[in-house]
Amino acid sequence: MVKVFIYPATSLILSDMVARFGHTPLSSATAIRERIQTAGLESAPLQITPDEPKKGLKWAAVEVPAGVRGRMSLYGPMIGECEAAIIINDADLAFGCMGCARTNELIKFLIHQKEIPKLELYYPKNEEEGVKFVAAIKRFLTELGASK
Amino acid sequence: MTEYAPTHVGTVTKYVVVESFDVTPADLALHAYEISQGAMIKETCFGIVINGKEEEVDRIIAELRKIDPDHIFVKDRGFPPGDARRCRANLGGARPGYNGMEHEMTIIPYISHGLEELKNHDENSIPAPENPMEHKALDIYKLKKLIDAQES
Amino acid sequence: MTPPVRIAQLSCGPEYSGIQHEIDAAAREVGGEIFFPDVALKDIRRDFDKFGLDVRSPDLKLTIARAMALVEGRVEADAVFIATCFRCAEAAIVRNELRRYIHENSKLPVVSYSFTERTTSGTLLTRMEALTTIARRRALLARETQQGITLGVDSGSATTKAVVMKDNRIIGTGWQPTIEVIKSAQEVIAHALQEAGITRDEVQAVGTTGYGRFLVGREIHADLIQEELTVNSKGAVYLANRQHGPATVIDIGGMDNKAISVMDGIPGVFTMGGICAGASGRFLEMTAKRLGVDITELGPLSMKGIGGRVPMNSYCIVFGTQSLVNALAAGSTREDVAAAACHSVAEQVFEQQLQEVDIKEPVIMVGGTSLIEGLVFAMGELLQTKIVVPPYSQYIGAVGSALLVSGFIKDD
Repeated sequence: MVKVFIYPATSLILSDMVARFGHTPLSSATAIRERIQTAGLESAPLQITPDEPKKGLKWAAVEVPAGVRGRMSLYGPMIGECEAAIIINDADLAFGCMGCARTNELIKFLIHQKEIPKLELYYPKNEEEGVKFVAAIKRFLTELGASK
Repeated sequence: MTEYAPTHVGTVTKYVVVESFDVTPADLALHAYEISQGAMIKETCFGIVINGKEEEVDRIIAELRKIDPDHIFVKDRGFPPGDARRCRANLGGARPGYNGMEHEMTIIPYISHGLEELKNHDENSIPAPENPMEHKALDIYKLKKLIDAQES
Repeated sequence: MTPPVRIAQLSCGPEYSGIQHEIDAAAREVGGEIFFPDVALKDIRRDFDKFGLDVRSPDLKLTIARAMALVEGRVEADAVFIATCFRCAEAAIVRNELRRYIHENSKLPVVSYSFTERTTSGTLLTRMEALTTIARRRALLARETQQGITLGVDSGSATTKAVVMKDNRIIGTGWQPTIEVIKSAQEVIAHALQEAGITRDEVQAVGTTGYGRFLVGREIHADLIQEELTVNSKGAVYLANRQHGPATVIDIGGMDNKAISVMDGIPGVFTMGGICAGASGRFLEMTAKRLGVDITELGPLSMKGIGGRVPMNSYCIVFGTQSLVNALAAGSTREDVAAAACHSVAEQVFEQQLQEVDIKEPVIMVGGTSLIEGLVFAMGELLQTKIVVPPYSQYIGAVGSALLVSGFIKDD
């Protein structure tokens, strides 16, 4: 099983595809779960405390907005951990954890910097593209499994 | 600052989403209840949410997928079902993730179609989709055609 | 129990900055309740296109759709709180445009704020209190005349003020630097009562405002304890005799500054803050000290100088002081330095805060700094308007308090 970073990290489609074809998706939900299942100081709703933007300084400097650094404290470790990535490039309606364009630009950049297998896609816009989309993902994930 | 005592530690929560003519969220919930051995099942408008030990949740999901494999989709959720911090009743409106899911639900039928087609075709026989990283220049003959079309 | 004031939150980033619970806590403390206007994906798509501000961040698109749902009445709210990350240019544009859009197209009071991970509920409290007051106490804020005998106390960060009013007239005042909050309040009250020739027992109602309002309010059994944003707005339009129509109130205080767009005496949009004391009255106090004049002489002195001759940027009070010292060492005149200091403070307020409210005439300057004529002149230059400084402007909070609290006089 390969740890696959998915972009958007909130994607139901990518999360499903990665798990369906036998690998582990690294998603926003798993990062949030880790926080809300860890004791500490109360910081509703996501249990992201003001310390998280400080941890985010590892990926973005202090003049970068707190919301970017806080989000990077979720995604930075995942980007470090991932062994492959699938990126949907027109994910402009992913909200919440993926709701900040500046963070998203940084995430994509860091993924692109990393020498791991990557698959870049657009969302399918019709059935024909749907077939190509699923086939490309299946091919990518099968090859990952074979190389492992 | 108040101390935070987490609940549901060591469990996972997953969405099981169904987009099918044959299976409804209620069908899914009913079947999940039947086979659940202690996992918490909650029906939602998209499908169901299951919370429990990871092995148990995965076992239930593997069973549920069999009902309609090309139309059932699964993803992780950070919060346990009905958590007040994410509940629409408490927030006044849907959590932002809901709108994102709404967006992907409009694409899911194409994915289902893709999964169905791949049952009959080898994925290697299907051409690759457009690669966003390749910025193709406009073909010169195509450009000429476009100009001609405008002028005529 | 009164139902909570429903404050719609339009934001990008607070959950990820770790401060959402601070926003919730501040709202709760003043009887408010934060909620997120419910919109569907189709609303987001349609409203984002309709609004026409083509931003990239999905959460800002969501914010725009939520704002439109409020303005078009699809979602009901009593007030709006707009919050985005400090230093995010994209969000700052959205924040400003939404604030303006809501202000122009609805009656909802709006406050906007740019936060960092260090923002606490304490910082947000006064703003939230003003929002809930405007939503809940419209009847109280509609008061235009003072009745009976009332006392208003403004326990500010730099100075404490008191006024005694009787039948719509100010009959006694007291003023002194805030040292010990309660003691200073008691002394200014004593002075105001003595000047008015009134005993404490004759006072029919007491109101407090300013930073020390809760502490002083409890001590002197105030009938109304109210934040300074609504109180000062009310006091300003009352003293300037502009109770109807639009107005802009600017109060450059000792610790922070307020800029308020007012309509019929009720704040619509307001900001409060200032990055550094370099943009406050404190810098002018330091300037006066360095120039060897009393703060009351700084205004006339600065009117004799030309600020443009001395480069000064008090974005930071330390840098501002440095420019001041350098200018004097380089042989600049005290007059020019005084004028430059006034201009610099006005410029900071103009750049940092006045961009967040809609400037509508008349522009009324209040608070102790409004007596420094060089500062008023500099602000007038920047805004290209004649600034109104009403009589008793330094007592603004105390007057507003005394005016509003007359609504609390119990009929015998």
